[in-house]
Amino acid sequence: MAVALWSLRRIGAALVTLVVVSVLIFASVRLMPGDYIDLVLGPLATEAQRAQAVAESGLDDPVVAQYFHWLFGVLTGDLGYSFVSNVSVTDEFAARLPVTAMIALLTIVVTLLVGIPLGFFAALRSEGSAGAVGRIVSALGISIPEFLLAGVVVFAVSTLGLGVSVGRFAPFAVDPARFFGALVLPVTVLAVGCVAVVARNTRDAVMNVLVEPHVQAAVARGETPWFIIRHHVLRNAAAPILTIVGALIAVLLGGTVIVEFVFNIPGMGSYLQTALGRRDYAIVQSAVLLAAIVFIVASLLVDLIANALDPRLRLTGGSRR
Amino acid sequence: MHTAARAGVAMSAIAVLALTGCAAGASPDAEPTQEEAAPGFLAVADDAFDGGGDLVVQVDYDTAEASGLDPQGAATARSWMLEGLSYETLTTIDENLDVAPSLATSWETPSDTEYVFTLADDAVFSNGRPMTAADVAGSLQRLIDTPTTWTGQLGPIASVEVTGDLEVTVTLLEPYAPFLAALANTPAAILPMAEIESGEIDITTEMVGTGPLVATAHRQDEEWTFEPNEHHPDAASLGFSTLTIDIVGDEATRAAALRDGSADFAVLNSIDSAELLANAQDVSVVGQKNTDFHYLMINSLTGDEALQDEDVRFAINSAIDRDAINELAFGGSTAATGVTPAGLPDSCVAEDLPSAAHDVAAAKAVIDEVGGLELDLVVYTDEPVLAQIAQVMQQNLAEIGVTVDIQQVDYATYSDQVYGSPATFDLALSWFAGYADPAMVTTWWNPEVAGFSAVFMKGSDELDGLIADGYSTEPGADRAAVFENLCAVADEQSEMVPLVLRPSTIGWNTESLSPTLSSDEGYGNFLRYITQFRAS
Repeated sequence: MAVALWSLRRIGAALVTLVVVSVLIFASVRLMPGDYIDLVLGPLATEAQRAQAVAESGLDDPVVAQYFHWLFGVLTGDLGYSFVSNVSVTDEFAARLPVTAMIALLTIVVTLLVGIPLGFFAALRSEGSAGAVGRIVSALGISIPEFLLAGVVVFAVSTLGLGVSVGRFAPFAVDPARFFGALVLPVTVLAVGCVAVVARNTRDAVMNVLVEPHVQAAVARGETPWFIIRHHVLRNAAAPILTIVGALIAVLLGGTVIVEFVFNIPGMGSYLQTALGRRDYAIVQSAVLLAAIVFIVASLLVDLIANALDPRLRLTGGSRR
Repeated sequence: MHTAARAGVAMSAIAVLALTGCAAGASPDAEPTQEEAAPGFLAVADDAFDGGGDLVVQVDYDTAEASGLDPQGAATARSWMLEGLSYETLTTIDENLDVAPSLATSWETPSDTEYVFTLADDAVFSNGRPMTAADVAGSLQRLIDTPTTWTGQLGPIASVEVTGDLEVTVTLLEPYAPFLAALANTPAAILPMAEIESGEIDITTEMVGTGPLVATAHRQDEEWTFEPNEHHPDAASLGFSTLTIDIVGDEATRAAALRDGSADFAVLNSIDSAELLANAQDVSVVGQKNTDFHYLMINSLTGDEALQDEDVRFAINSAIDRDAINELAFGGSTAATGVTPAGLPDSCVAEDLPSAAHDVAAAKAVIDEVGGLELDLVVYTDEPVLAQIAQVMQQNLAEIGVTVDIQQVDYATYSDQVYGSPATFDLALSWFAGYADPAMVTTWWNPEVAGFSAVFMKGSDELDGLIADGYSTEPGADRAAVFENLCAVADEQSEMVPLVLRPSTIGWNTESLSPTLSSDEGYGNFLRYITQFRAS
């Protein structure tokens, strides 16, 4: 019962957050300097052209009416139309979200396969040179900016002729090989940072558990290291690792703007970036709202899963001290 | 050091050496070449080059117009280029930027206000219908009846009449020298008027012209696919089977695509790209001259109060070192210009302008009188070279006691600050398309006609009169004298200050493409000679 109530409270809070976020997104998009009409028509446009464009884009309606029109559309699955292309934003999302989701999925798979074992290894060998190397590599991975790494990768790949082309994406339905080929480099660049973050957090989480009394007791009982890891460390270290992985998934699904831009991937990030530059309101507010939904839902799911894994969290209201 | 750590350091060193080693041979002075392969051309397609392949062109951004794909509403050079692949105009411009025949095979001028065009008899729209004189007259009339940015450039048209099976006569209210050049740009495209009027074709979403290519697919901001217009006279001789235009925002990615062969041809905004590609064996990078030019806006209406004083504005103008801008931001590949673009016939000579004396001491004295100045200088991020120009200017103006705060903002913010009412800037940088006739761009110095400049400049009756004289004076010595005067007056008033021409940097993969590229361009159309390209 307590778990159900706790879960309901979390879901309720998430819904309220979403409503507030939708207002903030709508307002902030319109508070940005410059608007679509000025941008697309350019400074040389006539007043008649300007008036016609304003009327056609619905920007002459009261702002409150525009908000509720958009909100109603969101609730009914109609995200509006791009000012520029006049294409349905819902249709564009349907085409682009799978691309971003695939990048996120592959990045997370690589991150989990490499980052968690690396973190465990670094925790278990924290005193030796391997631990030092792990710390340095992890610090480098976290601190190298994505744009820099992406730029170096683009230069290196095009210069060294590694058989991977840059910027020639094709939809999966058109050319599956080119689709996955185009994702190799973006996933690699994204995975570097994600692996470093997960490895560092895994290492810290594991090291925190390793010094707890019940682990010391298990060592004293003569249990094998592998048994101790499986039965005493893994589950206890899972909550913080899960939290960071959840956050990474949310960030990646929201759109990886820089990587999509550099590698010319038509995902959510590049779509949002272009729309933002053009003040294409329908796209910007829906894409940001989607990112917020993903983040809130991912956080909610992480909390629920962490609770299931670690009952102590329920006693402390969700945070473990 | 432990073995593992040593191995790590060694691997890192090898990686760094491998990367830097590849670039080690690049000359730090590598600039895009402007060397001509033939008079007027940077490259001429080799007929012996294997053709018939897919041609992949990468550009930095897509067309985005409120009027969709309607060429008459096209307001930017990118739209002119893309839509110009499917549409043709009555006239065109050649490699010397002279007006040349296109859909009009010839014309006569019985008087200085009458133009009688003889039309091509083999022009066919991509839907298979031959072009008629009614299409020509209807297209021009549509442009007059539904004013767009380009309507004003066509001049004072009194009437457009069909005067024969393949003949159209345009009568002007008064002489207008740039008329033929204005007809040469995409917004003056000839449209299939019968289908448009019957509602059969919506040209805001579909391009149906007499041009050599037909757009078969378009994903906004991603990709265009064009196929040959089988009705075009050059269809059989095209040197490629399809044209794909990829929109690739990142300059380094476009350079990489040229290097690895995934793109045949690419627009490279920065002259630094030539250096990046200096060691790429199969890539050629050239600098195409343009009539487009960068200019400085000095807000004399709502900017710093001191900028209302013409002497202060002229002091700022005369402190700017165009040579330094040319060297530092363009690697010496451009030239100073006045209001009329340098290089066009009858244009004024930048070196003869009053500000060219570059009298820093006099300029400093003027600024000292107002107790020094602190001004903001707004540039937008889409055009990185603007920031480089701004930095040079910041140093120039510091010498006369003007402290400049450079603000780099996205274009939407820039547009709001510079073109919004009231304009909220002191100084701002931008560029104008220079077109193919020197009189055309002078229009923007008349704020009443231009509209956009009315929020930050006063203009003057004297200047407006000279602009009108420039329109009506026949090309030659008299017109050159008008422009010399016009440039000098605009220079002294210093509200919009021309700086340097804006060249294009273009690259192609020599293994997969043999293009034709003119040395000069007036309408930003680097694919003007697309029908001669040969892609393997």
